[in-house]
Order: sequence, then C-alpha cells, then structure tokens
Amino acid sequence: MDSKPLVLAALMVLAASFASYRFFLRLRPMFSAPGIDRLDHIGERLWGLVPNVLLHRRLLMIRYSGILHAMIFSSFIVLFTAIIQAFGSGLIPGFSLAPVGGNSVIALLQDVFAVVILVGVGMAFYNRFVIKPARFKGSNNKDATIILLLITSVVVSMLLEFAFHIAAGNEPSAAWRPLSSAIAKLLVALGFDGERAAEAAHILYWVHVSVILGFLTYIPGSKHLHMFAAIPNIFLRNIGPKGQSRTPDPKAAHIGLSDVRELDWKGMLDLYSCTECGRCQAACPAYAAGLPLSPKILIMNLRDALIGEETAPARPAGAPAAGSNLEALVGSVISEQTLWACTTCRACMDVCPLHIEHVPKIVDMRRHMVEAGHVTPGIQDAMASFQQYGNSFKKPARMRAKWTSGLDFKIKDARKEEVDILWFVGDYASYDPRVQRITQTVARLLRKAGVDFGILYDAEQNSGNDVRRVGDEGLFQTLSEHNIEALAGCSFKRIMTTDPHSLNALRQEYPAQGTSYEVIHYTQLLLELLREGRIEKAANGKVTGVVTYHDPCYLGRYNNGFEPPRQIFAELGYQLHEMGRCRENSFCCGAGGGRIWQDDTGVTERPSENRIREALALGDATIFAVACPKDLVMYTAAVQSLAVEDKIQVKDIAELFA
Amino acid sequence: MHIVTVVRLVPDLLEEIQVNEQGTDIDREWIGVKLCEFDDHALEESVLIKEATGATVTAVGIAVEGMDRVLQSAVARGADRAVKIDCGEANPDSRALAKLLCEALAQLKPDLILAGVQTPEDLFGQLVPFLGALMGRPHASGVTGAQVEGNAVVIQQEYGAGRAARLKLALPAVLGVQSASQPPRYVSGTKLRQAIQGTKIETLSAAASAGNNGAVKEMRRPSRGQGAEMIDGEAEAVAGKIFDALVARGLVGGK
Repeated sequence: MDSKPLVLAALMVLAASFASYRFFLRLRPMFSAPGIDRLDHIGERLWGLVPNVLLHRRLLMIRYSGILHAMIFSSFIVLFTAIIQAFGSGLIPGFSLAPVGGNSVIALLQDVFAVVILVGVGMAFYNRFVIKPARFKGSNNKDATIILLLITSVVVSMLLEFAFHIAAGNEPSAAWRPLSSAIAKLLVALGFDGERAAEAAHILYWVHVSVILGFLTYIPGSKHLHMFAAIPNIFLRNIGPKGQSRTPDPKAAHIGLSDVRELDWKGMLDLYSCTECGRCQAACPAYAAGLPLSPKILIMNLRDALIGEETAPARPAGAPAAGSNLEALVGSVISEQTLWACTTCRACMDVCPLHIEHVPKIVDMRRHMVEAGHVTPGIQDAMASFQQYGNSFKKPARMRAKWTSGLDFKIKDARKEEVDILWFVGDYASYDPRVQRITQTVARLLRKAGVDFGILYDAEQNSGNDVRRVGDEGLFQTLSEHNIEALAGCSFKRIMTTDPHSLNALRQEYPAQGTSYEVIHYTQLLLELLREGRIEKAANGKVTGVVTYHDPCYLGRYNNGFEPPRQIFAELGYQLHEMGRCRENSFCCGAGGGRIWQDDTGVTERPSENRIREALALGDATIFAVACPKDLVMYTAAVQSLAVEDKIQVKDIAELFA
Repeated sequence: MHIVTVVRLVPDLLEEIQVNEQGTDIDREWIGVKLCEFDDHALEESVLIKEATGATVTAVGIAVEGMDRVLQSAVARGADRAVKIDCGEANPDSRALAKLLCEALAQLKPDLILAGVQTPEDLFGQLVPFLGALMGRPHASGVTGAQVEGNAVVIQQEYGAGRAARLKLALPAVLGVQSASQPPRYVSGTKLRQAIQGTKIETLSAAASAGNNGAVKEMRRPSRGQGAEMIDGEAEAVAGKIFDALVARGLVGGK
C-alpha cells in the first residue's frame, strides 16, 4: 500500500533543501571571512560547556527565564527521540525504538517532558506577554511568538498522535504514557475510537512531521538559529586575556571595521547566535543613561546588515546596501553616537549566555572612525593632548610628579635607583587635584609600612588603556612603547598602581609587546602589608559607619580583583553592606573607554548618580568606598550634584586606614 | 595647483611664562613650543582645497628645534611635501620671515600661500601683508574659508555685526586664515607614526638679510590692577553690598 515513505522522503528533501539554502545564505559570508584562531585548548573549551550549557549558569542569573529555558532545553533533548521515531518509522517500515526502551522508559520520559516543555513554553508566553521585561524592548517579539507557537504545535501534535493511537488500541507503549492515555480516554469519550482514531492518528502524524519540517526551514531566519549556533559559539569563545585588545592585522589594507563582511568568522557566528534576550541591554550603563546604545540592538543591526538585502527586514528606502563603506556601516547601520556611548565596561559580555563579544566589535568600528578622523570634540581634545604631552590634562611631563611636593619625604626615582615596588601612578592620580590627595595618602601608607618603592617621575606617560579603547591604535602603540622603554631602564620586582586602567594595560595589554611584569593593584599590596602587620589597623575609633563598595570595571570584571578590597574592609573592621549590583555585576561609573573625555550630551541619568542612588537605598551605608581614581572623580561629582554629602561620603580605600 | 602653507612654532602657554634677564623677550629656555593654532587652521583649509581640487600641498617652516615634528604632523594631516628653510634665524619677526619666505618661495612657485592670520608673537598679523607686498601679489587676512575657482580664489571674511564678505583674488595670492571652513580634523596616532617614519623633509636655504626691523627695548609683565574685593556672608547681605558698590560707582540708579 505504502506511499508513506516516498511522500515523507519527498517532503524531507524539499524541506531540507529549502532549509539548507537558507542556512547557506547565513553561512556564506563566513566562508570568505577573515580567520581567527579559536581552535586551541580544546579541553578547556569543552570543559567550559559544562557550566555554560549543561548548568545554565549565566541563564540562571535571571532565575525565571533560566528555569524556563532549562525546561525547554532539556525537553528538546528528550523529545528528540520522538522526532527520530516519527521520521524513522515513516521512512523505514518496521523501525522502532522498542529495543532501547522506546515503548517503556523512553515513552514515559516523552510523556513527562511533554508536560515540562509545555509548562516551560507557558512560562515563556507569560514572560513575554504579561511580565514583559524591559530587556525585550527592541527584540523581535513576532519571531519569538512564532517559535513558541511552533514548539507548542510540535508537542501537541505529538501528544495527540500518541493519544489517537492509544484510543485506536494499537499503541504498545500505552501503559508507559500516562498523559497520552488520559487524553485518549477523553478522545474515546468524544467518540474517537477504532478506525476513526486510527485515521485521526494518521492525519496527526502528517501534521506533526510537517510542523517539524516547517520549524526546520523557519529556524535559519530566526533568532532560534541559536539552537545550532549557540553551543559552537560558546565552544569557540575567547579564552585569552579579557583585557587584551586585538591587535589589528598588519597585513590588512586598513585599520578597523568599515564593512560588516570584514568581521572574522567567529564575529559573524556571534551575530547569528544572538537570541535577542536583552540581558546585555539591561546590564549596559550607556543604555541605562539614555544614550543611544543597546549592545543587543547593535548586534541585531550588524546581523541584519550581514544577512543583507535578500533576507533582512526591509530597511528604509534610500538606505545604502549593507556595509560597503563608512557611510553604510558606521553612520548608517551603527550610528557614531552609538559607538562613542560605550564605556567598554564589559558588563554586556559577562552576562551574555552565548559569550557574544560586543566590546571588541565596538572598538574595531571606533578604530575605523578614528582613522577616518571622525571623533567627537572631547575625544579629539584628549587625544591631541596625549599626542603632545603624554597625558589628557594638557600638562607638561615635568609636572607629573608635582603631587610629591606635598609630602615631607622624597620618593625614590626608579629610573636611578633599584626599588622593590615600582609605582605606576597614572594620569588622574598624578594630575587631578581631587585625586592627588589620595595619591599622597597612599604614598604615606607605603612609607609608614617601610615599603621600598619608587616612581618614574616625568618618564611616565598615560598607559594607553583607554586610548586603545577609543580606537587610536597608533597612539596606544606610541604611549606603550614609551612606557615599556622607560620601564626597561628600571630595576624592580613588582609594579603597583592605584589605577585599574593602568593595571589592565600593564598586566594584559603590554605582554603582547613582549613584556612580562608582575603588576598588582594597591588593594592587593595594602592587604599584604596589613596581614604582615606592617600597617597598623585602625585602633583609634576611626572605624565608624557602614561601607558599601563599588567594583571598578577594570579591576573587577577585567582583572578579577574582587577579593582584596573586601578583605581590607574585614581586616580593618568595617561592616560591608554590598549593593545589589556588585562583583561581576558591578555597574560602571560611566568613565571608562574614553567616556570621561566626553560631555553628557544625551544623558538622561548619569550612571554615577544612578549608582549613588543605589548605595543610598541600602539605608545604612554612609561610606561609598572606591578603588579607582576615575571612580573617585565620578562619584564625588555625583554625590555633589545629588546634594547628598550629608548622607554618604565617597572615600578611597586608602582613606579608611588609620 | 600648488599650495604652500606656512607653519610656525609658538610658545606653548601651559605654564606661566617668564621675562628673560635682559627684559627684552620671554625666557625661551624652559618653554615648550607648539604649532600656532591659526596655522593649524590654514593647514586644514589647504587640505580641504586639495581634497576639492587635487592640488599639491607643501608645508613650509623655519628650521628650528621641534619643526620636524610639526612638518611630519602636517604630512599626517594631508600635506604632500614638507620643507624647512635653513636660515640661521631661530625666531625671525614677521617682516624678516616674510623676506625669508619670499626668497624660498621663488623655488617652490606656489599658486596659493596660506598662513595663520596672526600668532601670539605677531598680534598685528603682519606676515601675510608683508609677504603679499614683497611678492607683489593680492593678499587678504581674516579669511574664514577659501575655494579655488579657475585662476582665482574666492574667500570669505567675517566683519562685525554679523556681516560677511566674499572676495575673489587672482592667483597667486596670499591668505591669512583665521579659521578653516571646518574644525581641524583629527589625525590618528597611526597616521602620525607613518608620517614620522616616512616623511622626507626637504631643506631650502635662504639668507635674505632681514634688515633692521627694530628691536624690542623692554618687555615686562602687565601691571596689576586694583585688587579685587571679596564679599562674603549671607546671600542677601552680599547682594546688598554689591548693590551699594554699584550705586557708589553710579552704575545703577540710586535712591
């Protein structure tokens, strides 16, 4: 009788061809994309799939969504057996999973997980249409809804098919299918039994396989492409130093990303992996400040540009074709204001369940803008000052160590004498009058503890950390070469800095140029000194008030320096009341990545003020402790502009010592 | 079409400047130098004309310490050639500089010469008129934009009370630029590095005797005015004192 295998095979070939063609359209740019080495350390890459895929660690940071995803994800794996059954039995007469438990344990699991997935999908609908998290703003709600409906159809048609088979009395696994059997009872009561039920089961079979094949062809054009892209994307994640920017290919025709097709293949896979979940958007300080940057929409826009005209949602008439030049990528697909809004704080990358790399793409597009001379006045001013003086303050190098004149002792000149600790002071700590006070405090602490330390005096220049993130690669090279040369002439054991930005450059960026310093943050050194008993603990009743602490992006997220500051509070006897957004989820002060050199155009709420409000909401914290010169500047200004100096004081950790 | 842009180094006023011991000049021993901002605008306008017409741009400066870097920056900005004039003079005044340039420019044969309208050391902006007069060519100062049209250059000047003028000068001409048509563009560190590595700076020598242009007899700091009176206290009291002070000086109607 059976034309079934032929019809099914024809349907499968048709669907597979169409789906393959759509996959091919997506993947085509990747074949001609620049290469990137992401196949090293296979073991470490595989091991990373455990927390990221199996344990849903990042997904569960938003519990409700994480749980519903885990339900759908695990059910999908279990129910894949039903898909094998449906297509296997359709193509090969007599095919059955019975030898491996298809009519017993697998049948039971299928019934159980059909419930799990339907509850999960129900939760997803509830999330999307009732809870409506703000992070979905700008995502494609229609696409997500279609996907949820398709999943529901696949599962419901599967259940009904089984139920009709049971109602028809020809289902060997009936005893193991509590849910299908219950539905079958209902169907029998409705008059579906015997031949009618068998007929209905037959129809439901075709509905079931058609929905599956429809789903397959729909996926390549949907955010649900992550079903295929996510695990490879996580496997191919960046496992190199977090704080090391990519060095442009010296053989490339130009520096920076001017065309979306110049992304390396992994960068493209990032775009295809995006599920539009918006966690990055919710974590982004620029987005929160009202600036025109959503990391999610940035990735979506790049993706749509890459997909190009044939399949992307229609762009407004007159918009240029995807990414062929500056006007088409930077300025049209991605606006310049969007790129300048980023603080490079890395919050987006740390919350992304798929390990999408937003910041390197932003920096790469900035590089293109910088080379084309498209910079904001504030950036131009700061960069010109770096070119001329080696700092952003338009101050001569000779004044870099002027802060030392406020001390009653002379700090060693590390260029002339051997030192234990070479203190790389940094721009803000050296030149900003608000921070110089703290720099002097740190110097006195080190002196008191008998630390053998010295500074580079006027041989130090800005480390280039934020210059590199602004996108001026050449200027970063100039500054870093200058500092590396200055350091090469010195004899020291370790480099210490109070500035997380300098810390990141010296610890993570400079090694690409052949250096190998041991670089520590002053919080680590102060903790060592405390524990060695070289610094007195505050025994003079100085310890009053509850502390809350702000993790600097470049100390915390970039350099994992979460513990020393907290251990210092404990050692000194301060009670620490953490803000909700702390450690990896710390909220950026808004200064990084070149933002500190720009004005507040377009800002509806300064990130720093948002943060101070968060600290005030704790209710009992009277000290807002910081461990970064830029934080001191930003938060002192925020406390003043909110007029809450009587409620909370911004203090550097160094000020909490006796 | 060949454009020559004059670049001059001026004291960088980062720190307080001192008068030298003789009291005839500022103390140049410790002072940094930088490119004059008006010359920077002249350079930008030259590059804009180059981009519009395909002209060649040559940056020209006097061979002094720091000039090489300024010429390299000019090339990074878009100048095609860099020329320094070796004349043994470190700091010629505008009249002497005009003579030196006149002599050197004979070899470069430019169609258009741009310089900043003034420098902190040439407050009257004399370089351009001197140079125009010596070359016997039309010149204009206070230029806020220039476009080349055939054998002429059309310039914009801004006058007081919101009035502006467009003038046409026959080429070759000499222009003193007050501001470029758009702010000087940013030159990336990469371009600068390339220019530092790859720029060949040509040297011309000029020996024009600057003649007796007069010498500075005395230079001193401006005399201090009367000290300011600091008023503090409650806002109302302060306002009252300010009011009284204004009345006492007849600046507002009294009682």
